[in-house]
Amino acid sequence: MSDTIIKTEGLKLYYKDGAIKALNGIDSEIHKGEVVAIIGPSGSGKSTYLRSLNLLEYPTEGHVYFNGIDITDKDTDINVHRQKIGMVFQHFNLFPNMSILENMILAPVQLGKKKKEEATEMAMKLLKRVGLEDRADAYPQQLSGGQKQRIAIVRALMMEPEVMLFDEPTSALDPEMVGEVLDVMKELAGSGMTMAVVTHEMGFAREVADRVLFLADGKIVEDGTPAEVFGNPKNERLKDFLAKVL
Amino acid sequence: MNFAKIQADFTQTFISGNRWLSLLEGLLITLELTFLALILGAILGVLVAVVRSSHDQMKAQHKSNKFLNFANVVCELYVTIIRGTPVMVQLLIMYFVIMASTTNTLLVATLSFGINSGAYVSEIIRGGIMSVDKGQMEAGRSLGLSYVQTMRFIVIPQAIKNILPALGNEFIALLKETSIVNVIGMKDLTKWAINVQGKTYQAFMPFLGIAAVYLVLVIILTKLVKILERRLNKDV
Repeated sequence: MSDTIIKTEGLKLYYKDGAIKALNGIDSEIHKGEVVAIIGPSGSGKSTYLRSLNLLEYPTEGHVYFNGIDITDKDTDINVHRQKIGMVFQHFNLFPNMSILENMILAPVQLGKKKKEEATEMAMKLLKRVGLEDRADAYPQQLSGGQKQRIAIVRALMMEPEVMLFDEPTSALDPEMVGEVLDVMKELAGSGMTMAVVTHEMGFAREVADRVLFLADGKIVEDGTPAEVFGNPKNERLKDFLAKVL
Repeated sequence: MNFAKIQADFTQTFISGNRWLSLLEGLLITLELTFLALILGAILGVLVAVVRSSHDQMKAQHKSNKFLNFANVVCELYVTIIRGTPVMVQLLIMYFVIMASTTNTLLVATLSFGINSGAYVSEIIRGGIMSVDKGQMEAGRSLGLSYVQTMRFIVIPQAIKNILPALGNEFIALLKETSIVNVIGMKDLTKWAINVQGKTYQAFMPFLGIAAVYLVLVIILTKLVKILERRLNKDV
């Protein structure tokens, strides 16, 4: 667990010329094979932090390193690195103009990673893994929320990423569908995938995560194992937060 | 007005002197001009929309590019001027000022209407691009696709579907707007009716006649847009 995949240094992100400080100096490391849960009250900057890891949000100050390369450097081709950083969104963001299969093979085929047949074969295997092989030709709007999110996860896996970012993957789901998505994520964690998960599912964080980051006011306030963070919280903000959510 | 009178008027307006033939010639000019201006307008519209959307995108990411900034200012100026002045005035300026040395009225009219239409089309396309959820762009980019690839495969196909009705309306408006080209001496449908009125002292038949022709053209165009819409909606 010592190889660092993602590292941030002094990450700051201001909106409206500094009036809003979404991130206020974040130093963090995510190691290979690690599952990191990111928790915190709304407005704490946890989603912004996650989205800055693949530069969907560009930091005002500071650096993001992916495998030791500074991707915040203007001369770095971010597209190359994003291929290795999968992302799953709260609102799925499947492409409604394409079938499930087309959603999955678009990026690997267009980016020349795989031939169409190869990509299709891989997509079918992944669909089978999440129990949706019979929906390959369906369109996103024909699926339930839970199905959409499972597709979004395997779509990201099509690029064979080294790390997966999850931005509140179950927050937009009906309660009865949360389980099926979490199961896929647990399986993924079990297979050794490096994951950073912004979540409100404290059960998942406690059970699956190797490390929990607690953010408040754009800073990492507490960083430790689930046992430490949930069992023995030190920070007042964290105690207050846990009292509300648990 | 009895039936015999109507028949006589009809004959005088459309049949004698082979006027139906010149009517067809006028129709052809109207269609030719509309078609050429439509193509020019579509090209200009896409170009301007892409420049302005890319600029907005860059701005959102706190980046800037000098060339793009300049192009964006030019595009904004273009849209403001064209939308802020009447098309008839633009046509007169094009004919009597900018291209005063040419007698090729089709060229002048194509440029005028094309440039005019481009401004409206660009705003429609830009609106269409903005109407696509920004999560779509983020999802495409997060997979490693470039801005252009994401636009091409994900955003623009969805945008086109959203804007097709508005685009259809714009093209129908263009067809009808060409009826003013007689001010620079083009012999289109409307000019034909004016000429016939001058010769026969009849107003009813020639003007209602061309109104009917315009109406039929618009109905056909509307149907074509509907068919296209249905096609695009099939794969959803």
